[in-house]
Amino acid sequence: MESLTLLLEGFSQALTPMNLLWVFIGAFLGTAVGVLPGLGSSMAVALLLPMTFSLDPVGAFIMFAGVYFGGLFGDSTMGILMNTPGGSTAIATTFEGHRMAKDGRAPQALATSAIGAFIGGMIATTLVVFSAPKLAGIAVVFGPAEYFALAVFAFIATASVVSDSALKGLASLLVGLALAVVGIDGISGASRFTANVPQLFDGVSIIVITVGVLALGEVLHVASRIHRDEKLTAISVSGRPYLSRSEVREAIPAWLRGTAFGVPFGVIPVGGAEVPTFLACGTERQLDRKRRTPKFGTGAIRGVAAPEAAGNATSGTAMGALLALGLPTSATAAIMLAAFQQYGLQPGPMLFERNADLVWALLASLFIGLVMLLGLNLPFAPLWAKLLLIPKPYLFAGITVFCGLGVYATGASVVDLLLVLVIGFIAFLMRRYGYPLAPVMIGVVLGPLAETSLRNALMSSGGELSILVGSAITIVLYALLVAMIGYTLWRRVASRRRQDV
Amino acid sequence: MSTETSHSAPPQSAFGTGRSGLVLPAILLLLGIYLSIGIITMEVPDGAKQPGPKFFPILITIAIFILAALLSMQLLRNPEPVPDDRQGYRSYSDWKTVALVAAGFLAFALLLVPAGWLISASLLFWTVAFALGSKNWAQVLAIAVVFASVIQLAFGAALGLNLPSGILEGLIG
Repeated sequence: MESLTLLLEGFSQALTPMNLLWVFIGAFLGTAVGVLPGLGSSMAVALLLPMTFSLDPVGAFIMFAGVYFGGLFGDSTMGILMNTPGGSTAIATTFEGHRMAKDGRAPQALATSAIGAFIGGMIATTLVVFSAPKLAGIAVVFGPAEYFALAVFAFIATASVVSDSALKGLASLLVGLALAVVGIDGISGASRFTANVPQLFDGVSIIVITVGVLALGEVLHVASRIHRDEKLTAISVSGRPYLSRSEVREAIPAWLRGTAFGVPFGVIPVGGAEVPTFLACGTERQLDRKRRTPKFGTGAIRGVAAPEAAGNATSGTAMGALLALGLPTSATAAIMLAAFQQYGLQPGPMLFERNADLVWALLASLFIGLVMLLGLNLPFAPLWAKLLLIPKPYLFAGITVFCGLGVYATGASVVDLLLVLVIGFIAFLMRRYGYPLAPVMIGVVLGPLAETSLRNALMSSGGELSILVGSAITIVLYALLVAMIGYTLWRRVASRRRQDV
Repeated sequence: MSTETSHSAPPQSAFGTGRSGLVLPAILLLLGIYLSIGIITMEVPDGAKQPGPKFFPILITIAIFILAALLSMQLLRNPEPVPDDRQGYRSYSDWKTVALVAAGFLAFALLLVPAGWLISASLLFWTVAFALGSKNWAQVLAIAVVFASVIQLAFGAALGLNLPSGILEGLIG
């Protein structure tokens, strides 16, 4: 039980008043952006990234952990009350959740989703605590070829498997990779694609890219739609926010089944967090039909419980994949990876050895964050719902000002402000035409790792390409990748065939 | 902001219908050309080991050109489906609002140093809120100024961020 003692040490580090404050701020902000329409945890993390540089790494990551889970607690609120999911992971919850709300059971629906998110996150994080350190054992055998295989795995998985259109996903990935090669080359010292602008010698700042892609691009997207989409109305929340004993008994199996669906999906990026939520919801529906009195369609509590647990379980294990493998499976995880790099840390097999205290404090704060989120969400759901009343023009005007602040604060450069506008506009166009944005972030963050490890591997082998598949780990990774692509292709062909009939 | 999408529904037969998405392959093409020029003009220091600094960008550039070609071919063959309702209103982007917000941010970037944070940030807040549909401009202006001042105080004084005070130099700390 080595993990337990290490975890207890992590708790002792995370349970200082200052760090508790950071968890609270993170959880609070995360829930707020989750509830607010059009904002997600990725945008919150993007806007927070510039602000956290004055913090020590532990404080910064503890706060990110709060935001990371908080976004998932909040995003179902809007789906349940307004029938408009706040994010793709909340779509499955919306079906039955909104029916419950229309039925006058809005507080119960919100409570079910909050407890579901809590249970899913708890179980997944516990699994991470006990399994991730095992991966540190294989750390020693990770050389350049293995890191390159890992980066390729992340690239192809997010670009082609997660996105609807493999071509669009790959195009997004290449935009990210192209942004990553700007600046002075670390190995040879050559200046690349800087057009002799001194501000670009260090490369395009990761903050400029994250704020542009995830925050300013989003504001422009909202601007393009705000006079087009219909106004939404929210169902008001009143009544007891707690679940009765029979409701809990009804929901427990669904929470657990949902968690079981979510856990594996965090590590293998075959479709982001929305796939397990839909699988969990679909299974509950199947099981429900076999019962004597089917509840689906009339606001089934299980239809809310299962997908919420699945969504947060996915994020929990995704955090494990990020820490143990350095493999980001979402835009938010990619930004956290970028934050690690800003502090000179490289998530991956070595992290558990070199920065054990930081990792365990982060894992401990995930638990603290989850408890705090439950405390913030369960009794105060009606208050959070009030956030939906903030006028959108003010909300997005404030976010735009924060974009400007964050970018200027880190570099004090007007060039960065112009660059963020260009990147934001391109990101908006990409969204407009259905290009996924997560691959851009993953390309930017993992691009340098892929390039250095590829070149180092080839340098050591004297240009011999076979070194890239020279070890068991690389072969396993590439085989997994091929299997994943095969499965996706099969699934797509199968679903197309079903449509035709 | 060179992209144009007409708000009035274009005739069904027009070539551009459902193909405005070509703007993205075009961006990819420009990106590929920029990278190509960069690769050709790059000065590689003597004694750089192989594979050198050009190696990885060359791979990316080739992939970018291939994808730009594939994406355009896909769009030329199967244009995006045109929405059935002839109003077509909800599915077209509102370029006017986007342009307003973008122009507001551009003005902020250019005004920040000469005019100072307080003025440029208030202006940015006001422009965006106005573009997104706020009617009461005086109230928005008040909120904008308060918001910008609070940030200046919180981040300038408390966290020690250096925000330019511009022409109000000396008036505010």
